[in-house]
Amino acid sequence: MNPFNLPGPQFLLLYIIFAGLVVLGLVVWRRRAELSEAPKIDLSDPYLIAYLRGGEAEVLRVASVSLIDRGLLLAVGTQIQRAEHASPDSVRRPIEQALLKKYARSGEVSWMFEDDGLKSACEPYGNTLKSAQLLPNETVSEARLTRLVIACMVLGGVAFTKVMIALSQGRTNVSFLIILMIAAIVVAAKLSFPRLTESGKAMIEDVQSLYSGLRDRAAFLTPGGAGIEPMMLAATFGVGALAGEGFAYARRLFPRAKKKANGWCSSNSGCGSACGSSCGSSCGGGGCGGGCGGCGG
Amino acid sequence: MVDRDRFGLGWRPKLALGILSNLDRIDIVEVIADDFFRAPRRERRALRTLAAQTPITLHGVSLGLASSVAVETKRLEQMARLCGEVEPVSWSEHLAFVRGGGIEIGHLAAPPRSSATIDGAVANLRRARAIVGVAPQIENVATLIDPPGSDRDEATWVSEIIRHSESDLLLDLHNLHANALNFNFDPVDFISRIPPERISAIHLAGGKWIGRKGAQRLLDDHLHDVPDPVYELLEEVGARAPQALTVIIERDGNFPPIEWLIDELERARRAVARGRQRAAQKAIAA
Repeated sequence: MNPFNLPGPQFLLLYIIFAGLVVLGLVVWRRRAELSEAPKIDLSDPYLIAYLRGGEAEVLRVASVSLIDRGLLLAVGTQIQRAEHASPDSVRRPIEQALLKKYARSGEVSWMFEDDGLKSACEPYGNTLKSAQLLPNETVSEARLTRLVIACMVLGGVAFTKVMIALSQGRTNVSFLIILMIAAIVVAAKLSFPRLTESGKAMIEDVQSLYSGLRDRAAFLTPGGAGIEPMMLAATFGVGALAGEGFAYARRLFPRAKKKANGWCSSNSGCGSACGSSCGSSCGGGGCGGGCGGCGG
Repeated sequence: MVDRDRFGLGWRPKLALGILSNLDRIDIVEVIADDFFRAPRRERRALRTLAAQTPITLHGVSLGLASSVAVETKRLEQMARLCGEVEPVSWSEHLAFVRGGGIEIGHLAAPPRSSATIDGAVANLRRARAIVGVAPQIENVATLIDPPGSDRDEATWVSEIIRHSESDLLLDLHNLHANALNFNFDPVDFISRIPPERISAIHLAGGKWIGRKGAQRLLDDHLHDVPDPVYELLEEVGARAPQALTVIIERDGNFPPIEWLIDELERARRAVARGRQRAAQKAIAA
């Protein structure tokens, strides 16, 4: 039976199924093409991880929190300002220097997200991630476009054939099919260009898994710029993951980030960590136990 | 086969950031394999990602190789699957038994040092080699009691297993140090009785004294700093073993700042270097 001879409503139903399969195939094809072995990147750079997870905005959030934690920026309400003793030359990273320059005078924290200078200070992180194919580079984008064009040709070709057949038979009620075709192409286009490559998405999950110990200790991390741990926690899980009272300013300044960070944990069971030890801390008292084999090894 | 000594730390979630921030000073990371046998796919993939950042060695704690009972094939297959996924530079297990009569004892127990356990261990190592594809390094364990039913000392027992198998020794120097103190033997004599070319890896750790006065035992608890005599033993191994060594510091809790652990690694590097220097001077003098 030639499906193009099906009556209009039945063909439309068939086309919906067909379009769904094409879009699904497109997504699977992209995922398989973009998933490769994890590259070697600097997993201890909080800004690189923040960029991977949320782009420039996330780098700016983490950098702001870091500068506030170190006493170089001051937070008052939803405004931030460079501390009197702070100078852009006192920090090493370009993004931190740019933030200290931007907030030489008090300003709304939201301004940072519209500043082109700050965005360009984040660019090196994007470039590193693109070269590692964790963000789509030119090659990946071209491959995505090629796949989309093929999907569009398939979707359009089938719709066009049916329209031609309908018109040749004197039927002009083809608008539903055209609308469906356009909708399918729009959905295909939307799903063809996610911000991250599949490897990038996997890398975020991997980093979150490797740093699960940080999340477990979130409530015990102390402010004051003494260590990199709070920054890495914020970079990996979002500023909202900074749970301690000492970081209340972060949740006040970036309420959306708080919501996102909470959402991550609720949707992932992997918040904890595995045994992680050949011995376990239970070994301290003279006896060893637990399923990890005990001490003596 | 590595052509230079490697110095690293045991991977613990609490040390993750410290380790990943210091990969220029940490050559290798040892991961407890058993944590990942039944881990979700996501965690196993994370381990692969870690392996892409730094060389990894897998360390098993639950096979129970030193037993007259055959290790379950399922457990060896789990190790084989993990090794296949992570592609570690090596894998290791303890010369211990961890279960008997279907009961998991939750401890790396020293078996009777007898012909039966040598034969059992050698057979298990042969199966491990066949299923995983690579022979494990085998680690001497610490014990608080002299295993009953033993008819030879530990050095003889370990040497015989090594001689009859393809496995090299992962010499845990704190286990050796603790056993030497607890049972009054000379650890350097122990080292001298092991074929030096069969020592491929070293564990360093710390422990504490337990028990009442007069009946005290040194417990290997991995919660304390590596004591000075262990570094001296490391120098001794460095002087005797000509091949590249992998040296791992195990710390399971009571974590000091990462810089402290890095300093311990540096001390270990210096100890091996001193040993190498001694060997070189001896060779020149000869």
